[in-house]
Amino acid sequence: MDTYKLTAGIEVHCELKSKTKMFSDSLNEYHSAPNCNINAIDLAYPGVLPSVNMYGIELALKAALLLNCQIQKRMYFDRKNYFYPDLPKGYQITQARTPIGTDGYVEIMVNDQKKRIRIHDIHIEEDTCKNTHLDTCSLLDFNRSGVPLIEIVTEPDIKSDEEAMLYLEKLRELLLYADISDCKIEEGSMRCDVNVSVSKTDILGIRTETKNVGSIRNVGLVIESEKERQISLLENGETIREETRRYDEKTNQTILMRVKETGNDYRYFPEPDIPPVTLEDTYIEAVKKSLPVMPDERRELYKRAGIQNVNIEKIIQNKMISDYLMDLNHINLVIASNLLLGDVSFYLNKHSKSLWDVAMSKENFESLVTLLDTSKMSSKQVKEILPEILEKNTDVNEILKRDGMTQVTDKTFIKQIVDIVLKENPDSVLEYQSGKDRASKYLMGQVMKQSKGKVNPAIANEILIDTLNRL
Amino acid sequence: MNNYLDLSILEIHNLLKEKKIKPLDLVMEAFERIEEKKELNVFITLCKEEAIKKAKELEEKDVDNILFGIPVAIKDNISTKDIRTTCASKMLENYIPLYNATVIDKINEKNMIIIGKTNMDEFAMGSTSRTSYFGPPLNAVDKTRIAGGSSGGSASAVAAHLIPISLGSDTGGSIRQPASYNGIVGMKPTYGSISRYGLVAFASSLDQIGPMSRNVYENALFLNTLIGKDEKDLTTTDRVEDFTRYIGEDIKGMKIGVPEYFMKEDVNPEIKNHVEKIISMLKEHGATVEYITIDYIENAVTLYQIIAMGEASSNLARFDGIRYGYASGDREDLDMFYKKTRAEGFGEEVKRRIMVGSYLLSGENAEIYYNKALSIRDDIKKSFEKAFANYDLIIGPTTTTTAYKLTDDLDNPIKAFLDDILVIPVNMAGLPGMSIPIGKDETNLPIGLHIIGNFFEEAIMYKLAAFIETELKKIGEGK
Repeated sequence: MDTYKLTAGIEVHCELKSKTKMFSDSLNEYHSAPNCNINAIDLAYPGVLPSVNMYGIELALKAALLLNCQIQKRMYFDRKNYFYPDLPKGYQITQARTPIGTDGYVEIMVNDQKKRIRIHDIHIEEDTCKNTHLDTCSLLDFNRSGVPLIEIVTEPDIKSDEEAMLYLEKLRELLLYADISDCKIEEGSMRCDVNVSVSKTDILGIRTETKNVGSIRNVGLVIESEKERQISLLENGETIREETRRYDEKTNQTILMRVKETGNDYRYFPEPDIPPVTLEDTYIEAVKKSLPVMPDERRELYKRAGIQNVNIEKIIQNKMISDYLMDLNHINLVIASNLLLGDVSFYLNKHSKSLWDVAMSKENFESLVTLLDTSKMSSKQVKEILPEILEKNTDVNEILKRDGMTQVTDKTFIKQIVDIVLKENPDSVLEYQSGKDRASKYLMGQVMKQSKGKVNPAIANEILIDTLNRL
Repeated sequence: MNNYLDLSILEIHNLLKEKKIKPLDLVMEAFERIEEKKELNVFITLCKEEAIKKAKELEEKDVDNILFGIPVAIKDNISTKDIRTTCASKMLENYIPLYNATVIDKINEKNMIIIGKTNMDEFAMGSTSRTSYFGPPLNAVDKTRIAGGSSGGSASAVAAHLIPISLGSDTGGSIRQPASYNGIVGMKPTYGSISRYGLVAFASSLDQIGPMSRNVYENALFLNTLIGKDEKDLTTTDRVEDFTRYIGEDIKGMKIGVPEYFMKEDVNPEIKNHVEKIISMLKEHGATVEYITIDYIENAVTLYQIIAMGEASSNLARFDGIRYGYASGDREDLDMFYKKTRAEGFGEEVKRRIMVGSYLLSGENAEIYYNKALSIRDDIKKSFEKAFANYDLIIGPTTTTTAYKLTDDLDNPIKAFLDDILVIPVNMAGLPGMSIPIGKDETNLPIGLHIIGNFFEEAIMYKLAAFIETELKKIGEGK
């Protein structure tokens, strides 16, 4: 059994984050009530013609550049013809002959080794309408009809479920960071078709295609279960058929949808309503320059700033925080990221807000970080005043003065407080002396309480232990 | 009854301007005439209420342009908001559009008055208008004969003086051929001149809307208002132009080519004879007229069938009974619903073309037929370009015969294409082409002269057309 080698290729459909649809000016908006974002073009009324959303082309071009593709400078569109109620024109406008990008790659790290997953092509097309099947009828929501899509097709370079998931995570990261797509799998804005085959030799086996897999994790599961299914078929002397399957989450198995006939007859031909679109070199350059700093570069940056790997990944997973950090200047990024991942995130989650809709200014946040960094404020104090800063953007230095919050580092003053606390808690002192470490924590808490949290905890702790040991 | 509608548009305009008549007078007269010649069956839908309302509104407005208040008829494959647009098909028998075609907006801007939607071949597929679900319109000159097609209703309505001017569409001669059969002027401008937004697509890479009129000047006048870039149609070209500007000019020194292919034996001798007379006339007035060859035009009809039917099979896929139009009552399963809706909603000719078109695009056929056709089409275009390097215009007959009997050749689908042998090459190349009346055969049926121009040179075509029109008037021919 071990001699079977797995080969997989993945097609990813991704909805572009454009304001309007690919070939009409109605809104591209997921959360609207059904059939609100539609016009005569989306419904394919007789006589309508497509126009081309140039922003959609720009987003697709960004994706093609990020995937290291050769760019097609003169693009044509094609019609893919088939009958289904989710396709109002009876054809889908796509790019069959001249995809915007070809021959690209995505680099992933497999067991600390760099590996390239080659991209066969990336092309632009339009989404179908959403079809909901009920018992006695079928409902059509045309809001999705004509939403811009890119389809990204890999070469059969994927050799394990792990590689597949690493590839998809990397792809998702790129598309998210360049603001090309929301990649919200639960909203169907990223969907995967997974091609899997197994073979004992270098000649690829017959593949099956599992359609519309809804999460990155499930792609991994599909590959594993398809691999097992195919191997057991072959071991039983049966043959694999070229077929289309779907994944059933409950049973963790793929289920046959249909056996592929000799090539689906989509009657492709050039879309006569759209003249070729030319991408000038200057335009391509300008789009390339407009790309933001991508995750791998950010990881390097955070590493150099001394942020721990665990936190780096947490930041990368939260684009909002990562973008926020990118804008901060001359401050301790470790402290800043801890604050953002910790107390700030806690607040934002609790109030369902983002960093872009709180009042806090970047400058004010930077001052806060600096106060923490120079021990002029304790994390406890920060926690207390954070909501006010976030909500009202009150100047942190003002709060400091107003609430008399300046942290006390004066050792003589701290010693006085320590002495009072020890005098008032003879029992705890005894406990400490009999070796109960817990007592020192209690006493430290009393010191903070006595000082109303104003003393620098590190210094206070040092003085407390020192005093206890001297008793 | 008044006879304002027998006057020229300029004369009507002056009467309107001098307030001697009102737009309503024209509208009422048009409907009287339509009623009187009801048997011509040129209209599928009349917009009497809307037209009267519009005419009354116009009484409050300044007569600010020459087309103000002029009644116009629209081919029924052009989308008119709130006015039924059937494409002469059962499929769209009760379809009322939500929007206006761009040309309709332009017509409304000029305050022209839409009288009705004209009869045609179903989905513009045919050369006789006999494929109409609403029965064929009749030829205005001889009611026993075909009006031609597919813009048969638009041609016959103008020829019968029901309205001064109309809109047609031309995919493979559908404006020029019925214009010729009815003895009027029909222009198919350069592909991309007039927005196709709202024209129900037959073959997108060939379809073009164009004006049909009683004389050359009025045709040019109407074209002025129809052209221009439209954001909604990416194939349109940015043009602003006065097409009447060369009308009346001398044709001395003009170089004209006559393709030998256009004058071969398939063409009725009487028609050939008339064209030869025109050639002599042009020579007499100082034009150079020479016979030329244009490579590949003999392939045009074959290519046309491949390209037009291929595109049609895709363009007509949207008629599935789900969102609008005819829907079969049998809804047991989806496939059956599709099949029945389309089998019951489309007529024979439309179904035939969808079937052939689907076949031509299937599997490897797309490469063998469609893509090959596109490449030879380029060659045709190049041959014309070569000709236009040496000649200002190309002329020939519009049709091989005059209008034939309504009952002739009903079962011969190939015949219809052969009728269009002279007009189709123009669509394949995307060039402008027009037909003007140059006389009648011995049974008194109109004969048309086909004038083909280089890309965007309609103004020069109108110059020659107007010259011929004037000369023929002098000797009492042409009408």
